[in-house]
Amino acid sequence: MVKFIVRRVFWTIPVLLLVILMTFVMMKMIKGNPFQVTERAVPPSIQANLNRKFHLNQPWWGQYLYYVEGVFKLDLGPSLVQRNQTVNDIVKEHFPVSLELGVLAMLFGVVVGVPLGILAALKQNSFWDYGAMTFANIGFSIPSFLVATLFIYFFALKLGHYTGLPTNGWDTPQSKVLPVIALGIFPLTYMARLVRGSMLETLQQDYIRTARAKGLRNRIVIGKHVLRNSLIPAVTAAGPLLGYIITGSFIIETIFAIPGIGRYYVISVQARDYSVTMGITVLLSVIIIIANLVVDILYGFLDPRTRDERT
Amino acid sequence: MSGPETATDRREGAFEAVHRRRATFEETLSRTAEARGREAGAALPKASLWKDAYYRFIKNKASVVAAIAFLILLGYVLIVPFLAEHHILWKNNDPYAVRFDQAFLSPSWAHPFGTDEFGRDLWVRTALGGRVSFAIGLAATAAIMIVGITYGSISGFSGGKLDNAMMRFLDALYGLPYLPFAIITLAILGTVNFWSMVIALTIASWFTTARVMRGQIITLKQNDYVRAAYAAGARRHRVLFRHLLVNTLGVIIVFVFLELPGVILGEAFLSFIGLGINPPKASWGTLAQDGYQYYQAHPYIIVIPSVMIAWLILSAFFIADGLRDALDPRSREA
Repeated sequence: MVKFIVRRVFWTIPVLLLVILMTFVMMKMIKGNPFQVTERAVPPSIQANLNRKFHLNQPWWGQYLYYVEGVFKLDLGPSLVQRNQTVNDIVKEHFPVSLELGVLAMLFGVVVGVPLGILAALKQNSFWDYGAMTFANIGFSIPSFLVATLFIYFFALKLGHYTGLPTNGWDTPQSKVLPVIALGIFPLTYMARLVRGSMLETLQQDYIRTARAKGLRNRIVIGKHVLRNSLIPAVTAAGPLLGYIITGSFIIETIFAIPGIGRYYVISVQARDYSVTMGITVLLSVIIIIANLVVDILYGFLDPRTRDERT
Repeated sequence: MSGPETATDRREGAFEAVHRRRATFEETLSRTAEARGREAGAALPKASLWKDAYYRFIKNKASVVAAIAFLILLGYVLIVPFLAEHHILWKNNDPYAVRFDQAFLSPSWAHPFGTDEFGRDLWVRTALGGRVSFAIGLAATAAIMIVGITYGSISGFSGGKLDNAMMRFLDALYGLPYLPFAIITLAILGTVNFWSMVIALTIASWFTTARVMRGQIITLKQNDYVRAAYAAGARRHRVLFRHLLVNTLGVIIVFVFLELPGVILGEAFLSFIGLGINPPKASWGTLAQDGYQYYQAHPYIIVIPSVMIAWLILSAFFIADGLRDALDPRSREA
């Protein structure tokens, strides 16, 4: 197990380097220069100085090495557009907001979705099952921008008088309710479907039949045998769900005017603020890579059979 | 059924008798096989692969309903603009004409989906937007399939170090977040139009297909008929194309229906954050974004294109589900 973890952890380093390289190459391919976008023409000498200051005069691999060094020192460099602000400042300012939104939405999804899936599986083909699955399928397919907009329309605009929920912002606890639920609907439905499917599969296993044949009480069979084994696949859902949360937060932050990293990302791309775009992309990639790492190790603990297959 | 010779047999010619008896016997055989097959949910002996898949698909009620819903949506998208363009129906529903006196009309018989802020008819405009969304979706799905199948089959078929390297690369790409990746690609291409959208969506989402294809090829490679083909002297490319890729067709078809809604939703997301194709053209994503500007007073404008997207996602999802069961019965047992 230790060997597996060590191998798996070391493996993230080349992956990280490759991801930074990919992002870096892609950023280099974007045409245009942040210093030429401004209205005032920049004299060639100043342009040269600026290039030198931001190491833009070096060959691309020099810039890459310099950047990688920065990433490992947790320094993402200065912003090219926002004066006196480093990418670290911007990340520090906006990332906690996105993190909170994402974590709360994920929690909401798991806390509501998992029990919903269990309920649907235990009462298969009943009213509860059909109700839960209809809800899950609808929630699964409706785009998050519609969910968010309708939430604002009904709960903040029409019923705001009773609910006291604002239409946008992220400063008060009330303002967090709608964005979290809107972003959490997808993880919720995803979890509910996954857990239901996995439970139905586990319920048909031979060892469940054995447990029942031994005369174990239903509660113990479900609690000790079924739940434990059928919740393992839910752990692996964390990877794709995290990807969704990131994508979804771009939309949700735009709609609710939340000052998070997703909204800032779009602005930085449009302003050609390369270092910010790159910094945020690398940050998001690192989060995904680490999440995958944690999931793999966790899965190794939960299901020993996977240890050798996954490196 | 075919008992000993009877009076009827004697009256007919010997040839007819034998022929009839054989026919009855064959019928009995096939009938029992059919019954046995039904019980086991296995293939009917006389049905071809596709007929067989069709029967299995038809039995899945949810998938049939989904297929009908999908066809209705496709019909709406294709037929409505055609009828309006040729002034057969909805003669006054111009999707491009700006008429401020008709702005924000609520849904009515004349304008089933109402009109937008410029007085453009949304019934025809949504259908046209659907054409754009479908076109982007289909083009990107086709590109994803081509890239994914090529990458996956090269990796899976060659095996060894090349396979290892290719999979490691794919693993690394899995670390890249989907939407930022697409946004950067759009920034590289400089403009947002049909083809740049297709390229961005393809680059951001071909990994899954590649990975699944590799898995399929590796599984199929171990079959005896592949070894038999090699033993019979088949070249590598013949094995790949005639024996391996052909057998992944079912999985590919399922994946088309899984990727299509994903890509269309991705396009909608990009449009929604302001990176959609330019007006006056529209896709469902840009229509939703338009609607979002006016949701406070006229919520129906955002609801319509979003429901179209949801309709597509849901129907495609259930079709994929049914197709998976129909084309690959083994997956049900696994």
